[in-house]
Amino acid sequence: MFELLGHGLLTVLQWNYLVPLFAGTLIGIIGGALPGVTITMTIIVILPFTYGLDPLQGLAAMTGVYVGGSAGGLVTACLLGIPGTPSAIATTFDGFPMARGGAPGRAIWLGVWSSLFGGLLGGLFLILVTGPLAAIALQFGPWEYFSLFVLAMAMVAGLAESSFIKGLLSTAIGLLITVIGTDPIGSVPRFTFGSEFISGGFPFLPVLIGIFAFAQIMSDIEKAAVPKTPEAVLTAQPSLRVSHLKVIGEILSRPFLLLWSTIVGILIGVLPAIGGSAANMLAYDQAKKFSRHPERFGTGVPEGIIASESSNNANVGGSLVTIMAFGIPGDAVTAVMLGAMTIHGIQSGPLFVSQQPALAYGIYAAYILAHLLMVLILAAGALFMLQITRVRLAVLAPVVLVLCVIGAYALNNTMQSVYVLLIFGVFGYALVKGGFPLAPLILGLILGDQIEINLIRAIMTDDNPLLFFTRPISGALLFCAGLSVALAVWQHMRHRARTAREEAPDF
Amino acid sequence: MRTVLRILAATAALAAMAMPAAAQNYPERPIKMIVPWAAGGDTDNIFRPFAPLLQKHIGQPIVIANVTGASGTVGAREAKGSPPDGYTLYAVHDYIHLVHYAGVTDVKYSDFEPICLLSATPSVLTASPKTPWKSWAELAEDAKKRPGQITVGATLGSTSHIFPALIEKAAGVKFKYVSYEGLAPRMNAILGGHVDLTDSNLTQKGKVDAGQLKFLAIAAEKRDPEAPDVPTLKELGMDIVYAVLRGLIVPKGTPAAVRAKLDEACGKAAKEPEFADAMKKQGTRVSYLNAAEYGPFLDKLDRESKVIMTELGLAKQ
Repeated sequence: MFELLGHGLLTVLQWNYLVPLFAGTLIGIIGGALPGVTITMTIIVILPFTYGLDPLQGLAAMTGVYVGGSAGGLVTACLLGIPGTPSAIATTFDGFPMARGGAPGRAIWLGVWSSLFGGLLGGLFLILVTGPLAAIALQFGPWEYFSLFVLAMAMVAGLAESSFIKGLLSTAIGLLITVIGTDPIGSVPRFTFGSEFISGGFPFLPVLIGIFAFAQIMSDIEKAAVPKTPEAVLTAQPSLRVSHLKVIGEILSRPFLLLWSTIVGILIGVLPAIGGSAANMLAYDQAKKFSRHPERFGTGVPEGIIASESSNNANVGGSLVTIMAFGIPGDAVTAVMLGAMTIHGIQSGPLFVSQQPALAYGIYAAYILAHLLMVLILAAGALFMLQITRVRLAVLAPVVLVLCVIGAYALNNTMQSVYVLLIFGVFGYALVKGGFPLAPLILGLILGDQIEINLIRAIMTDDNPLLFFTRPISGALLFCAGLSVALAVWQHMRHRARTAREEAPDF
Repeated sequence: MRTVLRILAATAALAAMAMPAAAQNYPERPIKMIVPWAAGGDTDNIFRPFAPLLQKHIGQPIVIANVTGASGTVGAREAKGSPPDGYTLYAVHDYIHLVHYAGVTDVKYSDFEPICLLSATPSVLTASPKTPWKSWAELAEDAKKRPGQITVGATLGSTSHIFPALIEKAAGVKFKYVSYEGLAPRMNAILGGHVDLTDSNLTQKGKVDAGQLKFLAIAAEKRDPEAPDVPTLKELGMDIVYAVLRGLIVPKGTPAAVRAKLDEACGKAAKEPEFADAMKKQGTRVSYLNAAEYGPFLDKLDRESKVIMTELGLAKQ
């Protein structure tokens, strides 16, 4: 195994892989640092550039974006108090106060080194666990897959902050979109209204690009005031000088915190559908709960930064495990990566690591090297990243939009994809306006076909529906799904009861 | 009215003049090859090494588009709907006849023009490691005891469905079919023991040697030198010879000059030693026919498929 990893590292260290990896990491950090540009958007933007590369080059670039993006958010989070990506939200809680309190260098470097340690621990997990997990994934029959997807949907709908009902509705809309077109088993056209345009269904990536990139950019433009950075901050040129040994010491003297945040990140990553944005919040929450001085969280304590930043990079490792062992995407970013693999003719799944060891270990190597590159890039240019936030949205938005359209068109070289992008861009924007969370929708979209196929397969294999409950893994997964829904409903009720009590005196 | 007619006539004449010119310069841009099955599956593995060789002889990039779903018919529909200009090639195998008679789709092989036949892959009856049978005889005995209970992973209405169905008929047994599209998902299912049997081919020999799979019989005329221990169905008393035949076709109406160019380039590409090597790795032999031979061959296959589907009771009434 380590021989293969060594081979993978040597491969990726060659110029033709190192250059895409470096470019990916750099672009990822920039995308991560820019408020309003998410990692998903960044990976969509570089997607068309990977079509012409060989598979490992393309995947190295994408891994770079994923790793870089997960770390890049911390610069803006600490220095400006604006999370560059949703996966750096919790970093602002303590990073910004610490930076304002006169220790910007400490805040940034606590984040960078935590990202590195969290990421590398996540990498260790990735390398050690993917193989055994793939063996377990092979034991997953149609029942288990179906139940796993049900659990994923229950969890993501429950996580939607705004409203549980809207989260569920959003998931349902995603599932409904996948119903349109020819059904995957019997080739019966559904909701096509006899139109050739939709008879093949809506291709996944253009829909994803439309909903995620297009709709999001539109709402960013609307609140153009958000990324406005006070000129004073940008010209101040804070000194980021800090004793690295001391910062690393600060992190390593809290091994339990580091480890626990990493585990939270990995687990959130492994679970299909829940991404880095949930990982950093949860890890922060956990760190606060386990702390001896929870009241000091939010005032600039190092624990907050360590928890948030180590968990969001570990989350990347976890997500990669899921696509490589199960062949199902953990979130929108890995969905795009899976799409890119398919374009290159590679099918991921339980047999991926054993049949494509060169590629699998190449991805591991890219993941590890991306972390080192991330540290180098941030060491050289953390302040430069800050200057990038000066780029006006009026310039940035059109560039991103054009790249989105090119990406969609180049998928199959058909205009149909572009029209689909447009339709779903508008549709997604309308949903955002209606207060619907988009993450559950994307999940429904990613899993829709798979849920249907596995349900039908299960029934074709054995028409006893009780098997979903009596097969141990499947039953356990469904139980967790029920639990997660119950928990979400309970939390919601409690929240409502509390706010009702607080509001009561107004009447 | 007359002016309108005149304009129409002039346009038609112009178009007629433009046509050969377009064909003359063909190909001017990349050519799309629709593979209606998932990347990494059998069909994909056969056409993917062929694409760069064809590219070498036709002089334009060949871009593979995996348009999957519904027993390959989603890709079939897209191929049929593509403009007949030679910039869309459609990679097919026998399923195009079968799914039509199974009533899965209205797309027919005669909606296309033949370019070339490339390869033949003999089918191998393969069992999951979790099944108790060591040979066909044991399977047959068990199947007679439990009719309709032994599961077969198959692409419904396609070759992986027909091949076991032929065995069912010859041996007088009954299987239960579960939809698993493409070889890769079928392999996951059979390795995990979620189905008992499937149709595979000699590409899976490595897994058999590692004890992860069991080959029960091969549907070839004689035993394959790569797997000399696997008996032929003929030896086992069933008169079944079955191979998956793969070739390239283009939408009907593609200009003859364009087809001739494709035909010629395919012929050269199929004769490359690299292609033969790549096919050997796929448990497949190169079985080349040019456009003129492929057409009648497809007609014959179609008649045979119709008979098979009707006899097996799979044809839609």
